[in-house]
This record gives sequence, C-alpha cells and structure tokens, in this order.
Amino acid sequence: MTSTSKQGTPSKDQVHRVLLGKQQFLVTEDEPLLPQLERAGIHIEYQCREGYCSSCSIKLLWGQVEYPFEPLAWVHSGYMLACCAIVKSDIEIAFFHE
Amino acid sequence: MSYSTFNRKQFDSMKEPMFFGENVNVARYDQQKHPIFEKLIEKQLSFFWRPEEVDLSSDRKDFQRLAEHEQHIFLSNLKYQTLLDSVQGRSPNVALLPIVSLPELETWIETWSFSETIHSRSYTHIIRNIVNDPTVIFDDITVNTEITKRADSVSVYYDRLIEMVSLYNTLGMGTHHIPGKGNVEISMPTLKKALYLTIASVNVLEAIRFYVSFACSFAFAERTLMEGNAKIIKLIARDEALHLTGTQHMLNLMASGKDDPEMAVIAAECQEEVRNIFIEAAEQEKEWASYLFKDGSMIGLNAQILGQYVEYITNVRMQAVGLDACFGTKHNPIPWINAWLVSDNVQVAPQEAEISSYLVGQTDNNLDDSDFDDFDL
Repeated sequence: MTSTSKQGTPSKDQVHRVLLGKQQFLVTEDEPLLPQLERAGIHIEYQCREGYCSSCSIKLLWGQVEYPFEPLAWVHSGYMLACCAIVKSDIEIAFFHE
Repeated sequence: MSYSTFNRKQFDSMKEPMFFGENVNVARYDQQKHPIFEKLIEKQLSFFWRPEEVDLSSDRKDFQRLAEHEQHIFLSNLKYQTLLDSVQGRSPNVALLPIVSLPELETWIETWSFSETIHSRSYTHIIRNIVNDPTVIFDDITVNTEITKRADSVSVYYDRLIEMVSLYNTLGMGTHHIPGKGNVEISMPTLKKALYLTIASVNVLEAIRFYVSFACSFAFAERTLMEGNAKIIKLIARDEALHLTGTQHMLNLMASGKDDPEMAVIAAECQEEVRNIFIEAAEQEKEWASYLFKDGSMIGLNAQILGQYVEYITNVRMQAVGLDACFGTKHNPIPWINAWLVSDNVQVAPQEAEISSYLVGQTDNNLDDSDFDDFDL
C-alpha cells in the first residue's frame, strides 16, 4: 500500500484521544487503531488485519475515522474496522457486547 | 420460467437484483451494480495456493506419536471439514447459479466454490500423508452418526432452495403437489425466503462451523505438532474469512433493501429464524467439541473452552450481519488463535513477505533511460 501522507504535514504528529468506557488512550494518525490499542494492552478481536473479515468491527460512538483504502468488509453505520481505520479526531469506541 | 445459459433478452443488468431477476447473459465486468463482488474475486485469485506446496512429511511422524484420543480429535476434525467442503465445493454453484442475475456475482460464486475444491483436495493430501489407508477415513464420513447429523443441518437449506428453484423452472408459480412431499407453494416470496435462509446458513457454515476444527489444528501446532497441517489450515482459514465476507455482504445488501426492496421485507420477517440458525449451529458445534474430547482433552484445549470460543465467535458473526449477540461470553477464551488466523503472515516465498496478496508478473512497462540515472556500475 502506497502511503499518501506527506512528511511534514500538520496531521502527521496529530494525537487524538480514544475513549473506551472509563479508559482513555492517546493515538496518532501514523497507523490504524488496532496496533495502537494492542500496545496499550487492550485485546481487540482480529483475524485478517486487512479489512476483509470484519472480526475487528467495534462500535464508533462518536468522532471521525478514515480508511486509507476502502475495506472489503461491510461496515455497519456506527461501527468501524479497527485494523484499518485511521483515527482523525477524538473518538469514543465500545465493544459490540457492551 | 426456465433457465437459459445465454438469455437472449436485452436488459440493463445494472438494474437487476442480485437474485431472481433475468438470467445473466454477457459475462461483462466493465459495469458493476455491486463492485464488492469483483473485489472479492480479485482478492480470492490473489490468494491462490495448492496443497502440494506444503510438505507434510513430519506430520506423519507426529501423527504416529499422538495419543489415541488425540488422533481421534485430529481425524474427526478432518472428516468434518471434508464434509463441509464437499458441500461448499458444489452447492453455491448448484443452488445459486441458476438464480443469479448479476455477472460479477455469478463469477464470484464460481470463484468462491472453486476455492472450496482446493480445500477438499488438501484434505486428501493430508490424509494420504498421515495414514496408510485413506479409505477407512473417507468411508466413515457417510456412516458416522456424529458427522451425518451435521450433514443434515448444513445441507437442508441448500437442498430446499434447489428443489424449489427446480419446481419454479419446470412448473412455474403456484402450489404444486409433489409425491411424498405434499403441497409445495412456489411464489416469489417463498423462493426469496428460501434463498435468504440458505445464505444465512452458509454464512454460519463458513463463519462458525469451521472454527472448532481450526482451533484444534492450531492447538496441535502450538505444541509444534502437525505443523504442515496447520499451514494448510491457515490457508483454508484465510479463504473462509473472505467467503464469509461474501455472504455477509449478500445478507446485508438484502436486508438493506438497496438491492431488492422485497428482499428487505423478507429479511425482516426472517430475523428470528436466522437468529435460530446461528444459535442452533453454535449448540451443535459445542456438542461436536464434547464428542471430540470424549476420551480426553489436549493440552491447552478442552470441550468447555472450545464451547466458550464457539459462543464468542457466534456473537462476533451475528453482530456482523446486524443481529444482537446472543451469548454471554464477552471475551475470546483462546486469544492465541488470532495469531494463527491472521493472514498477513501467510507466506510461501520471500518476495511475498510484505504483502499476502502478492501479484505475479506486475512489471512496469513505462520505463525510459532517465529511470536508470541513479545507477552506478
């Protein structure tokens, strides 16, 4: 995947807050949400990590995310695919069973 | 209405529904009503693999060293997977091709079904490599009651749809008296309902039923046993994850009414029935886990843990088709399985390390002398 983000653009070092229940994490726009939450010790179900299996689908309660490429999986409104979504603003997420 | 292999009518295939519109005539992909199916075809083709690429010589030695109850777990799973892929290698073609109305979807169905035949061939490859007489194993599939019970549930919706479509093609709409079966009502709503339930049951087959087997195969491999088998299962799991997206798209497109407004009404009416298909399959898979471990568990896995995993994965899959999760299990009891299921490290050659869907022959023809300016000899 060719990266389209240019070095030195203001968005590069942008940090956003991710709310998950009572927890809060800081994430960047450098990579998708999934690896950043994993490093923070949060387990998110995943399988393909390429946007086609929908295993990492989680609720996006509010906020903006973007996909560098359109995922093959069906994304229901109010949901996001953690494996390939880039966080573009402060967001609040929840797991489907909560 | 009877099926035609080349429909002579002139119509705009962009206005046809996915199913039960005009039979497809020209296999053209320059315009697509649902481009997702073309993308799935490309992805599936980029996944192409052959079982013979995987060396199973150490699996034979491993298998002989397994305890008897572990051999039972291993072989039973292979038999069950053989059954599932026998069904999937033919049924999407037989059941769905006569009623599909979009060229890109028609080709996706064929591509999907073809990839299942690779899975079937890989079971023969595995079984041939670990036992002296494969016949004993294959013959048991049609007589072992634990397997045949499951054969009934995986084929019942397909068989019903195939029967109804063949009545529709030969006798048309109406209530037909079929000897031995009584009256069968053939109307567009009954056909569409049969189709919707079939797609739901196929989604369950590929998104849930395979996963007990996958978990056992990877649990052996975690102990560095049967690793060749695990490599093959990893490739199968990658294909199945793509297939389940295909049926999720079909179900979600139908339920949204974007494709066919009448289908949205049927999807809403069938919601409870579809929920029950998921729940019933999950219960059967839990029973299957008990059968596997009847003579003893294996390290890292037992019937209870596997049952919780079935409940968890069922919740994930239900939510993906817009249904509420129905089991209380909130966490994956075997999170290590995801490292085996992830497809981006499925690798068969070094040049493919960066991208799993490595494309062969992607050369750049637009080169001129200036492209070599940086080269120094």
